[in-house]
Amino acid sequence: MAAGPRADRRDFYEILGVPRTATQDEIQRAYRKLARQHHPDVNKDPAAEDRFKEISEAYDVLSDPQTRRRYDAFGPDFRQVPEDVDPEAFQRGRAGAGTGQARGAGGAGGFGTGLGGDLGGIDIEDLLGGMFGGRAGRGFGPIPGADQEAELELTVEEAFQGGHRSVTLEGPDGRRTLDVRIPAGVTNGQRIRLAGQGGRGSEGAPNGDLYFVARIAPHPRYRVDGRDLYVDLPLAPWEAALGTSVGVETPRGEMKVKVPPGTSTGKRLRLRHHGLPHPRGSAGHLYAEVRIVVPAKLTDDERRLFDELAAVSTFDPRRR
Amino acid sequence: MGYALVLVRSASLNLEAFARATGTHPGLVRRLVALGILDADRDAAGELWFAPSQMAVVGRVQRLRAGFGLNYAAVGLVADLLDRIALLEAAPREARRPGR
Repeated sequence: MAAGPRADRRDFYEILGVPRTATQDEIQRAYRKLARQHHPDVNKDPAAEDRFKEISEAYDVLSDPQTRRRYDAFGPDFRQVPEDVDPEAFQRGRAGAGTGQARGAGGAGGFGTGLGGDLGGIDIEDLLGGMFGGRAGRGFGPIPGADQEAELELTVEEAFQGGHRSVTLEGPDGRRTLDVRIPAGVTNGQRIRLAGQGGRGSEGAPNGDLYFVARIAPHPRYRVDGRDLYVDLPLAPWEAALGTSVGVETPRGEMKVKVPPGTSTGKRLRLRHHGLPHPRGSAGHLYAEVRIVVPAKLTDDERRLFDELAAVSTFDPRRR
Repeated sequence: MGYALVLVRSASLNLEAFARATGTHPGLVRRLVALGILDADRDAAGELWFAPSQMAVVGRVQRLRAGFGLNYAAVGLVADLLDRIALLEAAPREARRPGR
């Protein structure tokens, strides 16, 4: 009844990952396993719901021996074939034109033997269990759709400025493209809600919501912690010792930072409120982390001056 | 003070309204409360009141029940486990943040 247009296109046996000769037990086992993986409340991936419906639809058809026999004989369009056409006769007629004995087309042989005995293993609960999706609704009334979740990877710049991102997702009617508004100052793990874009509700019940979980991608320059940004600040030994004023890249552009004299590696210079903005509060900070870098090769002059410094200085960084 | 109470009350639904909004029977709603699956406040008159967020809980209960043929007690367990997994999955996402 609720056969989605997509479910009709793929072979039901393929969807459940079972051979055409599978017994009812095997079909049920395959369905249960797949349903647990793709149930919209277990799997938040937006594509999971359609997969679940496909699985339910396949199980719906194959779990009922009558419907399965018709599906085997008539293929995906079996619903269009009038009820009074006998599947076996139809198949014999189709195959018999040539050799007369070909029964293999739909694996009907294996099925015929499996039918009687295996039916006993299916209880009412199991049959009801297959209803959601394929046989949606019967007895359950309107069911709201599940919330869904998808990850949205952002650059630090996008998190800083906000903006729009076009995201393509597998949806109920094929692919759909959503325009996601990224609020400025979104942080790692924050959820952006798209109301009503989640799983579909049945029988007019409301749809679930779709949540994008923000993930700020690693950045070559910035490290992100909440709303704070960290950036390396390489200094020459003399800059660190004497103090200086240097330019630091921030998402807002270059900023001048005053390095006080006697600054060692690891010291953090804070640029207040130059981190990621906060829509309803104060922005994070930007920390420039000092790292002292020495020239890999000294010129003669530099070597002479360092030698001189070494001779004069009593500074011992390892003294306790 | 009185105003605050009125505001809270108007945002939540009583048993009848909640059952109607979720398309369920009031008896089922009461049972879900008794099983600890739904959160409800009881007022002085003993009447149950539901926050609108509880409607999504009913949706999940129905989907899990319909999808797996679970009974309501089992649905409660599965829902709790799913919530715990969601928390656990969110934790490493937070911890993955590159730090200092």
